[in-house]
Amino acid sequence: MRRLSTLLWQVAIGLAALAIWQWGWQLHDTLPWLVPDLLDPYFVSRPSDIYQQFLRMGCLVSSDGQWTWDEAGAFARCIGKSDNNLWIATYYTLKNTLWGFAIGVSSGFALGLLLGRSDRLSEIFYPYITAFNSIPRIALAPIIILAFGIGDASKIVTAWLVVVFLVFFNTFEGARSVDRDHINAARLLGAGEWQVTRTVIVPSTMAWLFASLTPAVSFSLIGVIVGEFIGAEHGIGRMIIEAEARGEAAGMMVAVFVLMIVGVILASIVRRVQAYLLRWRPAQTIGTT
Amino acid sequence: MPADVAARCRIEIAGLRKSFLAEGREVVAVDDASFRIHDGEFVALLGPSGCGKSTILNMVATLITPNGGDIRVDDAPVIPGRPIPQVGYVFQKDTLFPWRTVEGNIGYALELAGVPAAERRGRVDQAIHQAGLDGFARFYPSSLSGGMRQRVSLMRTLIAQPEILLMDEPFGALDTHTKLDMHSVLLDLWEHTRQTVLFVTHDLGEALTLADRIILMSARPGRVKQDFKVDFARPRDAVTLRETPQYAELFSRIWHSLGEEFAKGRSV
Repeated sequence: MRRLSTLLWQVAIGLAALAIWQWGWQLHDTLPWLVPDLLDPYFVSRPSDIYQQFLRMGCLVSSDGQWTWDEAGAFARCIGKSDNNLWIATYYTLKNTLWGFAIGVSSGFALGLLLGRSDRLSEIFYPYITAFNSIPRIALAPIIILAFGIGDASKIVTAWLVVVFLVFFNTFEGARSVDRDHINAARLLGAGEWQVTRTVIVPSTMAWLFASLTPAVSFSLIGVIVGEFIGAEHGIGRMIIEAEARGEAAGMMVAVFVLMIVGVILASIVRRVQAYLLRWRPAQTIGTT
Repeated sequence: MPADVAARCRIEIAGLRKSFLAEGREVVAVDDASFRIHDGEFVALLGPSGCGKSTILNMVATLITPNGGDIRVDDAPVIPGRPIPQVGYVFQKDTLFPWRTVEGNIGYALELAGVPAAERRGRVDQAIHQAGLDGFARFYPSSLSGGMRQRVSLMRTLIAQPEILLMDEPFGALDTHTKLDMHSVLLDLWEHTRQTVLFVTHDLGEALTLADRIILMSARPGRVKQDFKVDFARPRDAVTLRETPQYAELFSRIWHSLGEEFAKGRSV
């Protein structure tokens, strides 16, 4: 009952927001104090226009307004016309996001584990790491584009920079808070140094790593998009910049909408993997991380 | 005790001393403790809390460094931080690896030793059965009760077949019935293997149920106060043993002496 009423409220709020977005502007002249200027379709377009634009940009509808699946080869022809249509752009953005995520997570984990378990190393490097961490990583994006060019490498490096610190700090904390009794138990059961690392320190640090994966994948996407804003040939970020240059609000909104879908899908996949890998935890704590 | 003279000495403690710094003051936890434990003996180290009995155990287990005195296990001096292969240890706290299942925890020591998977599975299954944990092999510790977790802990240590077993109030956190249950499990297992056991507890009933010998510690600073022989017939039944007159008689004798130490412990 409660779940049904929650669902009804959610649908109602969503529909109301769409309705205001679609028709709100028509009231602007009569009720200027109620309808903000921001609702101007010039800035935010309209749901119906965004939908049409989405069909065109996704090559679901060809330029003459026909569904592309009605005519053999129409879809391929439409795709071939541009080197940064919605499909290609999504592919590039997704690919670079995943690379940045993978490299960021693995290097952040390795670094966090190394410094977390070595008092000497963490003593030496800690000031540099905290100093580096206080730089907004996005500020480095132009330098990275300059150094790595406008291809995929610069996007992956930007994403990596954003992800690596997040994962590093989580892993570092995790590696420092490994339960001493677990280490002692392992030693007394016959574990050598390397076995303690492999069978106790790594698995208990993993729990902390996993907690950082959901934000890490979102951060990676942010890094890639910013990289694409500054200089790219492909990608959704590039698509937004192009639409902005043409003053196409609908085009920007389609790109943003696709980013939202990509973000939701990535985060939900990571959450599922995380819940599976942390299934040994008591049930009530799985949801909170 | 002629039998003890004949048996090999497994643990020898002489003049053992340990002090800690607490808020700038030196607190002597163990002062000049000496005793010997022979092969196959089940010895309970009994005393009020804070008497240093766990500290002694942890020094034997190489977890704590003594300030003075000697510990020898099988005639070899104990070096802190260097665990002794033939010694097994059961913690008071739950130290099961939460990311491993019941079978993963129990098989851990065998994995470390490189026992082949097939043999390992057989031994783990047997251990699970002995501990009455059938059907729980794939469970994670977080979904087990306290008593079940402690059984897993026990089997995790016992599967490596340690000749000497150190136990630090392993059932201290369990309720009375679960505790009695664990006593039966432990007595059963021990009947088969008869390893040397040093068992720390503050529970006189537990000590009488399990041990051949009770070493009574004085309140802080911990010293060996008295040594009692517990010669109840084996195999013992953890429940009915408590109803026998010998049990009652020995209980009241030690209880009196233990009570003095509890009183002293309170006044410090």
